[in-house]
Amino acid sequence: MIFLPEKRISERALTVWRISGCINFLIVFLIAGGFIALSIIFKWPVWIIGAILVFLLIYGFLFIYLFPLMRWKRWRYEVREQEIELQHGVFIVKRTLVPMIRVQHVDTQQGPILRKYELATVTVSTAATIHEIPALQLEEAEELRVFISRLARVADEDV
Amino acid sequence: MSEPKKLHPISAVLNALKQLKEMIIPLVAFVVFGSRGSIGGNIILFAGIASIILVLAYGVISWFRYTYRIEENELRIEYGIIVRKKRYIPLERIQSLDLSEGILHRPFGLVKVRVETAGSGGEAEAVLTAVLKEEAIAINNILQDVKNIHAGHFENEEIPPKHEEILYKISGKELLMLASTSGGVGVVLSAVIAFISQFDELIPYEKLFKNIESFYVSGGILFISLLVFIGFFLAWVIAVISTMLKYANFTLKRVDDDFIISRGLLEKRQTTIPLKRVQAVRITENLIRQPLRYASVYIESAGGSGNKDESARVTILPFIKKNKIHDILQSHLEGFISGEVEPAPKRAFIRYCIRGWMMVVPVIIAMLFLLKIWGLLFLLLLPLSAFWSYLVYRDAGWRVDGSQLILTYRSIVKHTVFMSKNKIQSIDMKESYFQRKKNLSTIEATVKSGLGGTGGEVVDLEKADVIKIYSWYSKSVPAVEESPAIEKPEM
Repeated sequence: MIFLPEKRISERALTVWRISGCINFLIVFLIAGGFIALSIIFKWPVWIIGAILVFLLIYGFLFIYLFPLMRWKRWRYEVREQEIELQHGVFIVKRTLVPMIRVQHVDTQQGPILRKYELATVTVSTAATIHEIPALQLEEAEELRVFISRLARVADEDV
Repeated sequence: MSEPKKLHPISAVLNALKQLKEMIIPLVAFVVFGSRGSIGGNIILFAGIASIILVLAYGVISWFRYTYRIEENELRIEYGIIVRKKRYIPLERIQSLDLSEGILHRPFGLVKVRVETAGSGGEAEAVLTAVLKEEAIAINNILQDVKNIHAGHFENEEIPPKHEEILYKISGKELLMLASTSGGVGVVLSAVIAFISQFDELIPYEKLFKNIESFYVSGGILFISLLVFIGFFLAWVIAVISTMLKYANFTLKRVDDDFIISRGLLEKRQTTIPLKRVQAVRITENLIRQPLRYASVYIESAGGSGNKDESARVTILPFIKKNKIHDILQSHLEGFISGEVEPAPKRAFIRYCIRGWMMVVPVIIAMLFLLKIWGLLFLLLLPLSAFWSYLVYRDAGWRVDGSQLILTYRSIVKHTVFMSKNKIQSIDMKESYFQRKKNLSTIEATVKSGLGGTGGEVVDLEKADVIKIYSWYSKSVPAVEESPAIEKPEM
């Protein structure tokens, strides 16, 4: 039997993704607003304004509500003695297996929003690939980083 | 050998030529587009000549400023025209010296030496553009001595002679077949087309064709198709000849723990691949070679020069009967076993078809709009695409043998990738919503190649099979024969 990775990422990640969804939406909203203004100035047919509004509504629902939720629900990870397993993806579910001995280095990084919510992104690099765990709690991310780098240092390299 | 030495003066010419090669496109563009503007032709001519003189001067000065020497067990190179640069490479870090000879090298008995290090960044590598052959051999000897001392041999100790074995030498017949079945035609053709489209306005079509047309008014189409045919044929001949020049005398040798490849008629090249840097073996078969049971074999190697045009994929057997590959390589590449692969399940075929159609249907719709009734001809694309999809479907497969994973798939050519477990960097399994409904899954394995990654991806395999591969790779999940589907996450 093949197990699902167990750990979920922090629930605060959901809030962060919603916020960045909002920022994303704001930009689209401004562009759409521009189009609406144009269509009023040049007297385009009314249905164009309607279509833009409907589009905005759907876009907002998807990017602020649905996608972050689906993404959060799908995201799982697990760091074991010998390997890291990740699962993510909204439409295409992707599971990734990275053996500890292949890990070359681990980075944590924070943007302004993540910092406010005390979260961090962990990036695991092998010689050929880069894997990201978004939005872990800060202590957890730090722990993970130390843990992985210690394990990775123990494992002997043969590439 | 501690005196700073200069390269052979011919390298001034080589430097200039290299610079010229990089400048040729902007230069041609400048001349072609410039001549349309209002600027006088003289100015353009002057600018052209000036830049060529500058390039020549650059070549000479950069040759003059480039010195190399071996000092304190380091290869020390100093170069740079305005900014002086020094590059010191410890000899024991040098993996190999790769020699090549261009047309300009040969009359003077010179070689170009590429210094390859194991450095993953591709940082500390150097090129000696032109040195005497004896000089290159002398450097190589010093290098070998240092390595032997490093490996615990003393200077006076008898060094065991190198074990050398020729694994493959291309025969004349193979060379001819290799050249005539290679995809090089396409490259030459597109180069010719690009060239013609660049000089479109310079060719006096009207003058050329006015007279000819009056001769061939009736047979115009015949004449043009004849021209096109001759054009194609010429392109093919050029491609064949250039491929033959490139792969003539192709030899694969094993010397101690390295593969040494030498090839080329006009420009001789020699490449060394330490066996321990081999990450994966890749066999490719194009559409013409596949039915003839011939294939090419490549090695994906780690590190390397990090040069973009010289990828980390190295040809080791350019043209070989497929059933001979195993015998040649088996004893040299650890764990290399070939075998029959497990195909994708029958129900996956329709998904391959749909993927193909998703590409052609927009084309068909666009053509129906543009060409109206004639656009219907493009409906023929549907069965064609289905046929192609069938080929792609037929060539998908996988196999696990002990610690080796084989993935086969078709992009344009058929790929068979052999990867051993301890060289695979990561494995992904992917499922879309539609795949989940059909119990199919995609597997992807990545190995290191050069500075990046490569590998293989096989779409729409039996999910249970993909889980088998996945758990084969996993160190914590015990491998299982029959696995139930992945637990569906609650949504």
